[in-house]
Amino acid sequence: MPHNFTNQKRLRGGMGAMTMKNQQRIVTAVFLAVPLILLFMFTYFPFFKMIQFSFYDMKYIGKRTWVGLQNYKDIFSRDDCFDALKLSLYYMVGSVVQLSLALLFAALLTEKTKGSKFFRGALYFPCLIGGIAVGFIFKFFFTHGFILDTLLSFVGFDIDSLPYWLKDTKINNWMLVATSVWRYMGQNMVLFIGAMASVDTTQYEAAEIDGANRWQKFFYITLPSIKTIVILNLILAISGSLSAFEMPYVVTGGGFGTSTYFVLMNTLAHKNQKVGLACAMAVFLLTLILIVTGIQKYVEYRMSDDYSKKHQSKRGAKI
Amino acid sequence: MKLKALSLTLAAMMLMCATSCTSSSTSSSSSKSTSEKSSDSSSKDTSATDSSDASSKEAGTASSYSTAVLGKDNTDIKADLKVLTQRTDLIDTVFAGYIKKFQAMYPNVKISYEGITDYDGDMTTRLTSGDWGDICGIPTTVEKSELSTYFAPIASLSELADKYEFIDTKAYNDNVYGIPSTGNVQGVVYNKAVWKNAGITVLPKTPDEFIDDLSTIKAQTDSIPLYTNYAAGWALTAWDSYIGGCATGDAAFKNQILPHMSNPFAKNDKGNGPYAVYDILYRAVSQKLIEDDPTTTDWESCKPRINDGEIATMVLGSWAVPQMQQAGANPNDIGYMPFPITVDGKQYASASADYCYGINVKSSDDEKTAAALYIKFLTEQSGFAYDQGGIPIVKGEKYPDVLSAFNGVDLVVDEASLPGEEDLFTKINNDSELSLESDQTHVARIIESAETGSEKYDDIIKDWNAAWTKAQEKNKAQINK
Repeated sequence: MPHNFTNQKRLRGGMGAMTMKNQQRIVTAVFLAVPLILLFMFTYFPFFKMIQFSFYDMKYIGKRTWVGLQNYKDIFSRDDCFDALKLSLYYMVGSVVQLSLALLFAALLTEKTKGSKFFRGALYFPCLIGGIAVGFIFKFFFTHGFILDTLLSFVGFDIDSLPYWLKDTKINNWMLVATSVWRYMGQNMVLFIGAMASVDTTQYEAAEIDGANRWQKFFYITLPSIKTIVILNLILAISGSLSAFEMPYVVTGGGFGTSTYFVLMNTLAHKNQKVGLACAMAVFLLTLILIVTGIQKYVEYRMSDDYSKKHQSKRGAKI
Repeated sequence: MKLKALSLTLAAMMLMCATSCTSSSTSSSSSKSTSEKSSDSSSKDTSATDSSDASSKEAGTASSYSTAVLGKDNTDIKADLKVLTQRTDLIDTVFAGYIKKFQAMYPNVKISYEGITDYDGDMTTRLTSGDWGDICGIPTTVEKSELSTYFAPIASLSELADKYEFIDTKAYNDNVYGIPSTGNVQGVVYNKAVWKNAGITVLPKTPDEFIDDLSTIKAQTDSIPLYTNYAAGWALTAWDSYIGGCATGDAAFKNQILPHMSNPFAKNDKGNGPYAVYDILYRAVSQKLIEDDPTTTDWESCKPRINDGEIATMVLGSWAVPQMQQAGANPNDIGYMPFPITVDGKQYASASADYCYGINVKSSDDEKTAAALYIKFLTEQSGFAYDQGGIPIVKGEKYPDVLSAFNGVDLVVDEASLPGEEDLFTKINNDSELSLESDQTHVARIIESAETGSEKYDDIIKDWNAAWTKAQEKNKAQINK
């Protein structure tokens, strides 16, 4: 065997001459290189460029001039930026509805319901369709006299008395929020189902012996056990609602008061060629999201077991 | 050990990232310098053309365009050309036919087309990459002084000025960077049969007459009087094309007067000017003379619908006419009328170049030469402009029949901007965020506020004037009262 080994060594040339450890290092480096290169190229490099751009008055093409913080000042002096941010409130309300629905369906589908596999698939399905396609589906869905109106007329509504879903500024944002809920709810649900499946079943059995009903089981066993996942989803949903884009962009193009922060950013950057301002808006949004996440993390910490234990022990010490 | 290896690779990554950053920046700076070089060399070329042989490789396309004879010169040239176009509807039909004809003369030139729907926005972004193809319609966002950064000079202005219409549209410092694909006349597309059934015999000449006629159509027929194409977005920018020549009759208005005018959108006593143009739209929308739900309009289906008479009128350039004619069984019902604004008793129609073909400055010499030949073919032999209902680019060629209603209407071709102010209009236009002719948000705002009653027309105008003034001040433009 040793003879064979040296042969291989010779054949493999440089690589074989190395020690096992060095080989390991090289293999590690090579495997790490691909994801790291991708990460830096498509996440960090553009990110730092964006921060750099936010200090310039620039278009995609042509000269760039350094303007310092002027772009950030502009964000605060413009009305449209904050009007757009207000629209996020709609989406935040939507995300609460979305999470409650997801919890409800997850709770129903983890039990041995008939056809639960089918329903899981069906409810998850919208996540698999591309956002643009969903947008087009709903554009036709909401067109006056099309799908939604026809469905409603089957149950007795008069088509002429129905509102224009996308034109009426009182309801069009709610319609868009509803489409977002439809699209993203399945994703939350699947995560919840996964978390619920890992809850220790003996707890339920014990609770059952103690005479707990289903609500009690859900509120006192299931919910505390999956708390981390719920909070994680809440953070994702809130930051998602601050950056809502696909639905308003595709369905209404940001018209009739549906222009969210992202849609506005897109218009400024690509249509009006104010790249610097749009980058500053993006940085500002990032800060907002970081703040929101920070607050949520803090609340999570206050609610956590560690915190209550520390607090209790302190209290105990005082006494 | 593992940790060490990890940190090592991380460090390596950082380094690579850093080098890639620097390399990208150097490449961009080098691209700048090459482009400057090319514009330099081209200006030398053009000065040299008179004396020296035009076919030398160094000369590139600058000197060969106007003298090249199609089908005789350079027939053995080999190149792969990629053409980017906004006419997504013609790629498999009309353009495929052009390629065949061209390849009969130049068998070794391969040409492929790529269509872009949201043309101006997407194309601007792609220009920055440099590797977008060989020929494209120059997007309106490129300032004249930046043309040489992205496009190769095709010929000198003096060579082509007597031969081609609108040739100064994309010219800078006597270099032509774009050859117009076709010329548009700005008017209004309408269905003759519908207008006739409504009992209208004389075409409207003023905004009031136009609104009255639309009301008559609404009362007398089942057709939608005016279809906005709101949801298509880009179609709304058509409205910006009427504020110059059509609304003022002044060829200098858009490029020379507008950048210096104080409050250009304000109402004037004569009932014309930009105010009157957008006012027509606001009134039509608030009087419910448009489709029921603008948010769900559909561009492709509007063509058969106006052909059938389901839609009576659309405000679009003459390029739209052939598309509406070919979309159904009634091509003869589609007519084109002058925009309903009268200036001192006379009607005017703006005529201007559509997208101009530009050649990528980064293409190889052979590709540039082949591209110039193909552009020459498109302009002089394909019949594109005439077939698409536009003004032919080659001077003296026949105008299409569609424009017959324009007898007695003066065609106004916008004069180029004053020397030294080539970029002023574009800069003010972008900085004001109105983005006339490149973005529809401001026109959409008129439709939205008229539809919902959220804003009065005069308030919108006040806003626009303020934005325009601010942009003028930012760019240090002299404002004439």
